[in-house]
Amino acid sequence: MNLENSAKRRFFRLCCILLLGGLVTTCVEPFETEIESFESILIVDATLTNEQKQQQVLLSRTFRFNEEQLVETGAEVGIVDDQSTRFEFIETEPGKYLTPSEFTAVPGRDYQLIIKTAEGNEYASDFRSLTPVLEIDDLYAERTVNGQGVLGITVFADSSDPQGNAKFYRYEYDETYKIIAPRWSPVEIEVLSKNPPEIQFVTKTEETRVCYGSASSTDVILASSTEFDEDKVTRFPIRFLSKENFLTQNRYSILVRQFVQSPEAFAFYETLKEFSDFESLFSQTQPGFITGNIVSRTNSSEKIIGFFDVSSVSSKRIFFEHIDFFPEGPPPPFINDCETFSPLFFFLGFSPLIDALETGFFTYFNVNDDPTPDEGPYLLVPKECGDCRVLGSNKVPDFWEE
Amino acid sequence: MRFFSIILIVFCSGVMNGQDISKLVSISFENVDKKTVLSRLENQTDVTFYYLEEWLGEELITKEYQNVTLKTILDDLFSDTVLNYYFLKEKEVVLTSNIVIYDNLPDRFFGEEKDSLVVNKPKQKIAPVFYTKKKSLNEAKISTIKIGKASVYSKEKYELSGYARNFTTGKPIQNLAILVEGKDLVATTDKNGYYLLELPAGENILSTTSLGIADSKKRVILYNNGTLDFDLTESLEVLDEVLLESNRDENIKDVVTGKEQVDVEASKNIPLVLGERDVLKVATALPGITTAGEGAAGLNVRGGKADQNLTLLDDALIYNPQHFFGLFSALNPFTIGKVDIYKGAIPAEYGGRLSSVFDIKTKDARTDKLGVEASIGPVTGNVTVETPVVKDKSGLLFGARGAYANWILRSLDEETLNNSQASFYDAILKYNHEINENNKINATGYYSRDDFSITSDSIYVYSNRAFSLRWDHTFNDKHKGNVLLTNSQYKFDINFDGDSNNDFNLGYSVEETEVKLQMKYELNPMYKFHYGIANKIYQVRPGSIKPDGDGSIVTPFSIPKEKALESAAFISGRFDFTPKFSVNAGLRYSLYNALGEGTQREYEENRPRNEGTVTNTIQYENNKVIETYDGVELRLSSRYIIKPDLSIKAGYSNTYQYIHTLSNNTTVSPIDTWKLSDLNIAPQKAQQYSFGVFKNLNESTYEISLEGFYKKLDNIVDFKVGSQILLNENIETEVLQGEGKAYGVEFLLRKNKGKFNGWFSYTYSRSFVKLDSEFAEERVNNGEFFPANYDKPHDISLVSNYKFTKRFSLSANFVYQTGRPVTFPVGQFILNGSEFVVFSDRNKFRIPDFYRLDLGFNIEGNHKNKKLAHSFWTISIYNVLGRNNPFSVFFVADDGEIRALQSSVFSIPVPSITYNLKF
Repeated sequence: MNLENSAKRRFFRLCCILLLGGLVTTCVEPFETEIESFESILIVDATLTNEQKQQQVLLSRTFRFNEEQLVETGAEVGIVDDQSTRFEFIETEPGKYLTPSEFTAVPGRDYQLIIKTAEGNEYASDFRSLTPVLEIDDLYAERTVNGQGVLGITVFADSSDPQGNAKFYRYEYDETYKIIAPRWSPVEIEVLSKNPPEIQFVTKTEETRVCYGSASSTDVILASSTEFDEDKVTRFPIRFLSKENFLTQNRYSILVRQFVQSPEAFAFYETLKEFSDFESLFSQTQPGFITGNIVSRTNSSEKIIGFFDVSSVSSKRIFFEHIDFFPEGPPPPFINDCETFSPLFFFLGFSPLIDALETGFFTYFNVNDDPTPDEGPYLLVPKECGDCRVLGSNKVPDFWEE
Repeated sequence: MRFFSIILIVFCSGVMNGQDISKLVSISFENVDKKTVLSRLENQTDVTFYYLEEWLGEELITKEYQNVTLKTILDDLFSDTVLNYYFLKEKEVVLTSNIVIYDNLPDRFFGEEKDSLVVNKPKQKIAPVFYTKKKSLNEAKISTIKIGKASVYSKEKYELSGYARNFTTGKPIQNLAILVEGKDLVATTDKNGYYLLELPAGENILSTTSLGIADSKKRVILYNNGTLDFDLTESLEVLDEVLLESNRDENIKDVVTGKEQVDVEASKNIPLVLGERDVLKVATALPGITTAGEGAAGLNVRGGKADQNLTLLDDALIYNPQHFFGLFSALNPFTIGKVDIYKGAIPAEYGGRLSSVFDIKTKDARTDKLGVEASIGPVTGNVTVETPVVKDKSGLLFGARGAYANWILRSLDEETLNNSQASFYDAILKYNHEINENNKINATGYYSRDDFSITSDSIYVYSNRAFSLRWDHTFNDKHKGNVLLTNSQYKFDINFDGDSNNDFNLGYSVEETEVKLQMKYELNPMYKFHYGIANKIYQVRPGSIKPDGDGSIVTPFSIPKEKALESAAFISGRFDFTPKFSVNAGLRYSLYNALGEGTQREYEENRPRNEGTVTNTIQYENNKVIETYDGVELRLSSRYIIKPDLSIKAGYSNTYQYIHTLSNNTTVSPIDTWKLSDLNIAPQKAQQYSFGVFKNLNESTYEISLEGFYKKLDNIVDFKVGSQILLNENIETEVLQGEGKAYGVEFLLRKNKGKFNGWFSYTYSRSFVKLDSEFAEERVNNGEFFPANYDKPHDISLVSNYKFTKRFSLSANFVYQTGRPVTFPVGQFILNGSEFVVFSDRNKFRIPDFYRLDLGFNIEGNHKNKKLAHSFWTISIYNVLGRNNPFSVFFVADDGEIRALQSSVFSIPVPSITYNLKF
């Protein structure tokens, strides 16, 4: 319920305003503190799923503000089930631990995550069992206006559990979108010599006109059927894309993964989400440490962040295009205006054209048909306008359907 | 002084010539007054008498003297009076009242004469009584009585006896304590009202005290044995602990522990922000009462939460007695008569809150003539009118106050804020009617409202409403009582009307109606009882949201209303076992019924409460009892007077609270909601032990007190980290109920008299909360005690006023407090691809200490009698030092960088001028 937060936020601002009204110069200013408040805490990102895959556990540590993420390497990670079967994890890259083979969580079993760090500290989660297995009922996109009054496309999910066991859902998505370089040329300039300047045109061998960009969700998206009538999630908005969003310029695809969560895991993520909104700190909401279900076996007062859950996952993919919702057009603009410019080929002993190409930010587009005295013979464009590989991969994804 | 100089002259004038004294006189008088007698003696003997006519009295003399000395005549004439005479020199006789003039120094004045002849006669000490009139404003009110006629051979001690009777009934007063101030002397009247007291000669201040009898005080100049009778009036409220007029020894004698009073009249000299007089702000300068921060709403009394205070305005509860987020109190200072604060042993007649009672009574309207008081300050205007309705019987008091803070917001450069507004007002109407000696009726109505809007699309409104009707009736000398009917409501509304399609209207309200019957019964002056019953019905509308406008897509939603009945019966007694040792004992039984209709959930036992552990949902019909809680509350306090200026007190009390505020904010906000106890939320409980030493110095010019307390709280309401409260139907899944403990020592030094007066208070107190559970999600700080949000160990307040003249005075306030605890972010992490912030344990850090100095200059209009109106100017500067006291510290993400920011409320000196007018 965001109402409460927005209410409090506004309320807090008023105090400042009153004071700004000629009474007080400022009411908010940098806080200089001597307080050393950093605490290094182990972060466990582990969700065992019923997907047939190499299961993954990510270990990291908290890091100071504005610094780089620190990973926890050299740990022994394993999951044991109630029949004492142990699934070992192997660190494949720093902080990332994978099972060597694929396996899935099975209903009716209890699983526990066990970690032993390089320093010898041991951690264990409580026992979790697989949440009810449930498919996404429907995934669809519609033309909508969002809360801020912006016109666009919303991807909705519907889910329901006739048994009423699944009530809490977390969603992740991977979106993939086709990119077509708007000022593409089948040829490119190859620099033969810088001094004296010498170039030649070669035909591009790689695909550079049509690529596929992809991105993953960065929000924690949570839904609970308790907030809806009839104990089901209907028309739950997963992703909003404004009418002007470049991602929908061409064909767009979204894969939504639905995790059925335990109530405890849901509560954990919900609280995390609440505090991820920095803005809400204005509201003076009482913050605090968010406890998960992993404890230290070596030091019971040590704090660990993370929730080990065993979730059933189901996914659905849809494809759509802008024109499906906005037949009247126009399609969203490309992310760059793609203005051309023509550096001189030769100027006072060096070549601005070659220099521009060598920055890597530009690429050849066309011949400058009618150059002015201070223009060169060729038109260059920002690289992404002529080479889609800047924005995505030129390999057609396996799942792609036209 | 005059007498004293005469005595000096006498000492200097040496040995007297007694030539004319021996001359024999024959004279007769018939029915003449003493003045005539003296003038005839003057004519006949050539002596001159010096005296004051008023000493002589109107007694007529019929006497005949034949050949006697003048001395014999005078001895005879003055034998039955307190007059003495002295032959000053030839033909001059000085008459004196009470005192005797000595013409030689006492024996051994210059030390023992070692070689002197030892005369075996009874030693008679010469102990002259010297008395200089002291100039003291307060003492001037005490009447002075001279008793006895001095004799040259005066003693050190004399006996004073007499009789005490009730002025109204004429009956003797038994067990009246007669205390001699500054001396460890006490007498008590017997059953016939007689007393006998041995007193040192000279000046003695006698004060009388007894239950049901108004205290009195007399200055007695004792020259010889004598009698003094007391005609005393009954005190109006026999068992009321409340002091109706300031008595300088009240702090010593009061039996109730942990009680404070705010002197409403004196509080006008205390400089406050924007020149607003504010009794609640003054209260925070007293030991044991604090706020979470400058401008934070809610008071914390002795380590209690802000929702644990019972704020009563003429017996009706005020849920939120503050305007403008706590910057100003919502109680019109001009209409308030007195404020009593109970922070220790709360009298048994009050209940329903754990930590304190703020008993605020409005003044009675004048019944003699019209009175008007008005003030204008930079933020508010205030007018109070008192008018008689039936002369000398009934009067009407009306007070209204409005704020015009909008100009502040409008004067902003910031364009987006030009549409902002903030205003508040409050109004009070009181009618008091004394029907006859035995019946009195008071009716009070109160309303306050705050409106504020930051952006043009949202409006916040919150309001208090209160009504009380009280009928006081005296049955007979021993039995009196009153019936009370009160109703109070608090509500807020949030109106969001923006450009998008999610406009809404959100509302909340809590209402209570109480009927209370109180009786006072005086078994005898030593044992008095106070008993009664009370019944209160609560109705809470916990929240509803409605779409606002046609285009809104907000789904209407409403949480069903809550209802409960709180009943109580109480009895208390004051027992004066001896004049020195008194006990006030009270017992209160409270019974709480949560009533339907409603829906309650049952959860699995030994599992954390959440959606997954619901086992059953129960429906209750209207007025069906959902859950019953009850509690026996003991309120005990005792006082022992060690010396008239020194006493010790001890108290114990336990309290129950059935209604709680829900707030997951670190400070109180006007949109905090109140929740009734139900199936899943238990009542809060508290126990407090207190002990205090009270000492007066220098004739009560200085009052010193040192009080200590230890408080234990149970089931105090807190929340899981990051919980959602507003419009949450199943709030019990978010609520945590835990333990609390608080302890502290409070020191107060107060100077009441003189040009320089005020007080200094220092409090050391701690307040902790423990939220433990076997489930991690219901635990805070690993289940250990952590400092409460308002835990401020050191708290120093200095309130002082210096009167240059009757018209000009300067006042200064100084406050120092330890910074309040806060929770800081201690790092960042990435989980599930998103960045998050991790917070420290709750309240692990503290914001910097708080200190502030305010100065005020008060100018009273001149005091000409015929002047129509009396004016009063206050010029004040708040936060003279310009200390930037942080109110809170928070962190924001700005361009991918996290920065620590602090907000403060008044970071520069704030000057203001207020004008008050009274006629």
